[in-house]
Amino acid sequence: QGESRFTGLKLSGDQPIQIESDKLEVRDADGLAIFTGNVNVMQGETLLKSTRMKVFYAKSGDGNEQAAPGDSMQSIERIEVDGKVYVKTQTQVATSDQAAFDMATDTLTMSGKEVVLSDGPNVIVGCKLTVLMSTGEATLDGCGKKEGSGRVKMLLQPSSRSQ
Amino acid sequence: MATDTAHYAQYRPSPHGGAADTSSQGRETAFAGALRHSRRVRLFKILLPALAILLASAFAIYSYVLSPTGISVDFVGSGISDGKLVMANPTMNGYTKENLPYSMKAKRAIQDLSLTGAIKLEGIDAKVPLSSDTWAVISADGGLYDDAGQTLDIDTPATFTTSDGLTAKFKSAFIDMEAGELKTSDPVEIVQGGSRITSDRFQVLERGDVFLFEDRVRMKIEPREAKSEETADGAGKSGN
Repeated sequence: QGESRFTGLKLSGDQPIQIESDKLEVRDADGLAIFTGNVNVMQGETLLKSTRMKVFYAKSGDGNEQAAPGDSMQSIERIEVDGKVYVKTQTQVATSDQAAFDMATDTLTMSGKEVVLSDGPNVIVGCKLTVLMSTGEATLDGCGKKEGSGRVKMLLQPSSRSQ
Repeated sequence: MATDTAHYAQYRPSPHGGAADTSSQGRETAFAGALRHSRRVRLFKILLPALAILLASAFAIYSYVLSPTGISVDFVGSGISDGKLVMANPTMNGYTKENLPYSMKAKRAIQDLSLTGAIKLEGIDAKVPLSSDTWAVISADGGLYDDAGQTLDIDTPATFTTSDGLTAKFKSAFIDMEAGELKTSDPVEIVQGGSRITSDRFQVLERGDVFLFEDRVRMKIEPREAKSEETADGAGKSGN
């Protein structure tokens, strides 16, 4: 397992978030919003790209009585991103087939045939990147049959550690 | 300077690998970074729900507009000129499925006597209840109401404002009351609080349960809400 700090989730509170896509379908009854086609989520230096992003949120109730905005503040439960997921931050890039943000456990998991995390010339390849959003602590698991038994390939360019 | 190092992602090779950066200074900056990070992530959790509010609240509008039951029509004065019945200041009052009253006023309603059922409305101003204590006001320059097909074809700019601060702007909108659907192939903009969605085409389907934004969907969530949330934190509001 490779430990690293994934500064990906540096979403600061004072910058707007922009989401772009070809299509957005919102199914209120199911509490689901699906962005499809060239999905770009941007905030400051952080960029997430994929072909599809599903946002699961607590339904607004059948009677549609509109809860005060404050109530639905905590309404997002989970976000699933799939289709060539690319996350770029100031210093790092991570790519995978899928990614999932779980609000309850505050974790981002990126998974797929190959999860590649690169920081400048340094590249780490594994099959599952788990990031604890509260600390930014990232664990990259290898691709073995059993959990965490596989090997992580790490390529460290000697000059890169200087700055 | 310290903040820069916090941003720089230090690789700590796995314990059994090379020497980890265990100097106290290293640990401090890492800790400071993590602390700042966690505050930011808490804001991150607030910003994402803002997306949900906008999406969730956007529906309430349509489910009521699209399902009037009984309609009563009365108007101030009327006259017939060149085969058209012209009504001044017609108002239509009715009740929605949930038995909440709604009213639709227009400056003028012109009914072409040859084709019954199609009433041309000018200066539409409707007030529609969203729930017992929230409502929406729809204003449009003009539109064609067809009571046979139960459709309202608004071919002019229209605005939709709800009492809880959501505004939707249309260049045109075709509302099929029967099917509970709304379609427009002109750009639409929905704004609430600090969030805004625009797209070139928009549809409301399944009686307001499904919203479909198509072609150049752009959504922007402003941090302003997060700010008020942040200061509110001090007041002990759970920022969890």
